[in-house]
Amino acid sequence: MTPALHRTGLHLLVAVVAASALVVFVMSALALSNYLTMVALCLLVLFGSALRSPHGPTQGASLGSIVLMAVYVIAGPATAVVVAGVGSLVQGKQVPPIKRVFNSGQRVLTAAGGAVAFVAVHGPVGASALTEEPRAILAVTLTGIAHRCVNALLTAAVLWLERGRKVVGAFFREVVLATALPMLGYGYLGLVMAFMWLGGLGLVAGLITLVPLVVARWALSQDAAERAAQAATMRAFIQVIETKDLYTRGHSERVSEGVGMLGRHLQLPVDRQQALEHAGLLHDVGKVGVPTSIIRKPGRLDDSEMDAIRLHPARGVELIGNIPFLEEVKSAVLHHHEKYDGTGYPAGLSGTNIPYFARMIGIVDAFDSLTSTRSYRPARSVEETVAILLQDRYTHFDPELVDAFVAVIRRDGWQPAAAEQPAPNAELESPIDHDDLSLGSGGGATGTAAGPA
Amino acid sequence: MSVTGEAERLEFPRSGSGVVIVLAGVVLGVAGLAMTTHRGVTGWPFALTFGVLIAVGEMVQFRVDRTRNRAPIATSAALGYCLLRGPEVTVPPEVAQIVAVVAVATAIGLLPRIVAGLWWDAVVSCRRLLSVGAAAVVFAAIAPTDMSWNGSVAHALPLGGAMLLAVLSAAGLDAVVGAGQMTERYSKPFPAALRDELGVTARIGMAMAISGILLAAGTSIAGLWAPPLVIVPLLLTQFAFRRYSSAQRTYRSTVRSMARSTEIAGFSSPGQNARTAALAVAIGNDLGLRPARMEALEYAALLSGVGQLALADPSPGGASLLRTREERQRAAEIGAAVIERSGVLDHVAEIVRHSNDPYRHGRANNSAIPVESGIVNVALAYEQLVGEGSGQSPAKAMESIGLGIGAEYDPVVVESLRRIVGRGFRF
Repeated sequence: MTPALHRTGLHLLVAVVAASALVVFVMSALALSNYLTMVALCLLVLFGSALRSPHGPTQGASLGSIVLMAVYVIAGPATAVVVAGVGSLVQGKQVPPIKRVFNSGQRVLTAAGGAVAFVAVHGPVGASALTEEPRAILAVTLTGIAHRCVNALLTAAVLWLERGRKVVGAFFREVVLATALPMLGYGYLGLVMAFMWLGGLGLVAGLITLVPLVVARWALSQDAAERAAQAATMRAFIQVIETKDLYTRGHSERVSEGVGMLGRHLQLPVDRQQALEHAGLLHDVGKVGVPTSIIRKPGRLDDSEMDAIRLHPARGVELIGNIPFLEEVKSAVLHHHEKYDGTGYPAGLSGTNIPYFARMIGIVDAFDSLTSTRSYRPARSVEETVAILLQDRYTHFDPELVDAFVAVIRRDGWQPAAAEQPAPNAELESPIDHDDLSLGSGGGATGTAAGPA
Repeated sequence: MSVTGEAERLEFPRSGSGVVIVLAGVVLGVAGLAMTTHRGVTGWPFALTFGVLIAVGEMVQFRVDRTRNRAPIATSAALGYCLLRGPEVTVPPEVAQIVAVVAVATAIGLLPRIVAGLWWDAVVSCRRLLSVGAAAVVFAAIAPTDMSWNGSVAHALPLGGAMLLAVLSAAGLDAVVGAGQMTERYSKPFPAALRDELGVTARIGMAMAISGILLAAGTSIAGLWAPPLVIVPLLLTQFAFRRYSSAQRTYRSTVRSMARSTEIAGFSSPGQNARTAALAVAIGNDLGLRPARMEALEYAALLSGVGQLALADPSPGGASLLRTREERQRAAEIGAAVIERSGVLDHVAEIVRHSNDPYRHGRANNSAIPVESGIVNVALAYEQLVGEGSGQSPAKAMESIGLGIGAEYDPVVVESLRRIVGRGFRF
């Protein structure tokens, strides 16, 4: 489909959603009888929506949807639809009008979907819920599922029209499935709230129920904040270590970015993807233990200096050993200089004995090194470097991962090191960077690994 | 000794107050048990359900934020059992029975942990029993037994109010006891310790208390259908906290590792940063700093040497005292710039920036410089004198630091150091 067609489709979808939502809303509003309860519940849901989390997703602990579950039981499905519509009036300040309209329509239709399920199983409303607890639990469970399904379908439709099919797959994997169980679980809190409301507490029940939820969300937002702080702190730290060598500035972050692209292409699960990016960022952290005089030394290194450089993976593991990362991060840092044919260091592992993450980092590490300026040579172009990588499949790199990485680079492009690096020193000829592929294999710049001379 | 070691060691108090708390808890539990066996148990299904919840909650405990109470579900269930009323619970449990059920369930929950060699702390469990006892007494005193959740506001509001008062008194008692323990353990002034404890209680404690109220009200209204309905969201919340505390652990150990990088690079001797941080934390506690400031102080002490990484050559033995003041101040300035770059540790950067300023030229005239800088300065100096390798006696080190009072070192901090060393602080 062309972009124009997509946009027309999007507008059409929003119009259909809005129109049907309006019809459902008016029909529900006409069916109402107890206005006082309805107003109290609307206030509660508005209050819940206003307590918006400043950090990321709520992982199912959305206050509005929990209150809504209570509304089905307290005042019936029609009220739930009306309350959902009123609650949707509170939205973020930056949301553009068309999205606002869609969001409101989506909430009303979602609530209506839940209402259908609730009526289908004869969910008990009002005081009768206190004598029919099992049926109330069943009704809330099914209502929650229907709610989730309608919501996911409508959102998926918009995502598909706006950003294409690939995003929809990721949405179902990462959002819908991941939050399905928390959504259902927190929904039961809505039922407890309904019991307490009907038990005589009324609006007070709503306020009491919100407290543990607010705390849960506080924990989630703290979690996000800690993770962000962690990433920022590691990045700052890496930058200090890179001040040792002006030519490698930004290298670790680019490697982290590169393995991140590769990991996403290979569809790693979320926690491994994060671990991989950490490993990419930290792979050279052990350089802090290599004397600056060796790192900055122009010209060829002697054996003892080489040995000092070869120690850096072990030093890196020594340094990050106490951080409770996945074990894969540490093994990747330790083995990122192994080669596929077993000629690398520190352990001389070969083939798939080299940890998966280490093989990935090895490729991106070499790639970034070759596309950056070094004191003894200018940066190579991306195409030139891709040719080198392809040539060194089997000798240096895991062939399948090289193919995957080359595919990613060809598809998404690569942002090589910025030009602010110092210009190469024309008087130097021998390769000295430890990441350059020819290191230790004698040939220097004449070997295939270092590229055509 | 590392800071982690310090923290772990302090988890196992062999303190006077601990003995008192355990004794009081055991006496209360045994008394409750004796009275209950004498009178017989009422409402077996409820006693059993809540007992199982408490035992399971005690079994699967983990650390939440800064509280010592690691079993939020057990706490909520125990509080919930105190607050039961009709119509579903026809005969609400008496205070003695509540105490007995909580005591027995806690013991049963702890047993597998003891057998498996996992972390457990009798003091924490006894503290919980005492606060739950307080809540039970308060609720029994102010909520008449004939009141029930019959759907009328006239009954529901007084019952809800009584529940709130009961959990508040439990939280208050727990905060006071906790503050007493903090004072004893870290020599933190009592008002400051109480303020910190109340701060923690206001967040996590209130969530546990309100969950207890939800459990109790739900069970009173809907019978035994309610506990699972409340427990499921509680478990989800617990997962959220678990993630949070693991992220927190990762972050703290990242900062520690960054600090250790100066050791690997040869700028400081092994353990030097950790020793300096342990001393800085002790001084901060003695001066009654808030938890957030304590954290920044610890990080600043750990990272105070990180600026040296950008200097070319390690100084011999890592003794930054041996070098010129200009060099040290430059390193501190670089370190602060590095830490600031992370964008999340600005306060830490500020402390590090001034950590090598002499008192007379710094804080004495400029109140914007945080006292933490002075603490790090003194901790660095004392560690240089007493820490491994240089090995002076504490008395001798205090003497040389005393010579710099007012000129080099902040008098308030040195006074605090003198108290700490006097109490027997050793690295």
